[in-house]
Amino acid sequence: MNVKIYGVLLVLVLAFAVCFTGCTGNQTPAGPGSEDSGANETPLYVVGVDGAYPPYASILKDGTITGLDVESIQWIAEKKGFRVKIQPMDWDGIIPALNAHKIDMVYSGMTITPERLEAVNFSIPYLTINQSFAIHNDSTITMADIEAGTAVIGAQSGTTGAYWVEKNLIETGKMPKENLKLYGNFPLAITDLVNKRIDATVYDRPPHLSAIEGKPAHIIGEIYTGESYGVAIRKDDTELLNTINDGITELMASPKWQELLEKYEMN
Amino acid sequence: MDTFVFLTTILLPALFDGLIVTLELIATAAPFGLLAGIGVAVGRTYGSRWISLPLRGYVAFIKGCPLLLLLFILYFGLPSIGIRLSPFLASVIGFIFCNSAYNSEYIRGALLSVKEGQMIAAQALGMSRWQSIRYIILPQALRRAIPGMTNEFIYLIKYSSLAFMITAVELTGAGKLVATKYFLFNETFVVIAIVYLFLVTVTTVAANMLEKKFAVPT
Repeated sequence: MNVKIYGVLLVLVLAFAVCFTGCTGNQTPAGPGSEDSGANETPLYVVGVDGAYPPYASILKDGTITGLDVESIQWIAEKKGFRVKIQPMDWDGIIPALNAHKIDMVYSGMTITPERLEAVNFSIPYLTINQSFAIHNDSTITMADIEAGTAVIGAQSGTTGAYWVEKNLIETGKMPKENLKLYGNFPLAITDLVNKRIDATVYDRPPHLSAIEGKPAHIIGEIYTGESYGVAIRKDDTELLNTINDGITELMASPKWQELLEKYEMN
Repeated sequence: MDTFVFLTTILLPALFDGLIVTLELIATAAPFGLLAGIGVAVGRTYGSRWISLPLRGYVAFIKGCPLLLLLFILYFGLPSIGIRLSPFLASVIGFIFCNSAYNSEYIRGALLSVKEGQMIAAQALGMSRWQSIRYIILPQALRRAIPGMTNEFIYLIKYSSLAFMITAVELTGAGKLVATKYFLFNETFVVIAIVYLFLVTVTTVAANMLEKKFAVPT
């Protein structure tokens, strides 16, 4: 085949690709919540969680998923009369999955941020947390080193910890961009910390404590971010948003909430 | 955000950095993958049993092991025995393993396609076995292997996206980070696809020219 034919082919394929950028799928297909009522009339909502995110959601050895957030939504579902299916998935694709109607909500320790609010709605906040840094037990890295930008930091991609480092250390020029290592899930970052390939990890404090449990690492400090967790719901799904807001209000007023906080050592 | 502003000020600069890493990965891995592939193919075809058997095992293992798993072993597994590779080096080593095993099969097929009589004729002219392979068989076989090896090179371009799984921020990874941050997945991935398509097209055109240049005159 000669080069000319390739030129023509390339132009055709590019034109095809450009056509598709226009239609970024807002056809609103029926979500899992609206169809499927089956024998009983209670609606089924699919709840997206990060499956490696204790204490909020984690997959046990027998395959069941549990955690603070999972038990919360199960309690709310029972009170409000709907069924839930817990769906573990990739964290950095979880908001697109929500907007593509693959799931109906993200109830998985998700911080309410202005950027995320542009894409989805959030319920009322149900927890407030800070970011924390952990190092290997053999390491002598201090919070001062981290704030000076001399440490290599690992984070899960798409998390507020990663954004904090980008905004406060990289964009201010204190730390070269290469010093932030991003992982698809947090256990991989901890593996690299244990392997001493990175100096520190950054993550929300409660799941950070869970992740380093039994590993030769410890928390050396916190960054006060005062982040609030909320449940992410599609912008057009206001009915579900109201239901979840009611449910969270009821849960936080009930003794079950203190019980859960104690069970997952959140105090 | 305006799509044009997003493309020019955020996406393209990020993708450019990623593209450099992708090209570095390919440029480092491809020559070694080719050389090792030739070595493995020659060893398997003409080597003694003690050479060909382990090579067969090597090819079988690499073909049977998903590249992603291989990269995880190299990157996350090896530190447990004290070998700590950088993401870039672990990726390149993984790619060389994979590339050489597949290349060796294309080259082996080409070696077998050269008629046995040529080896006998070469040796009748006083060449050693090694000289016959080096000067008579390989030059013909490598020409015949060009289409297959081009294929493998194209795979290599696409394998390189797996490097992101072990934190090397290459083209796909750079795009994924931007997409995650700005929630603009469709726009980002279409642009990335166009870049890969461009790389593959350049490769295909170059391989066609190479094939013509080295064609045996009839």
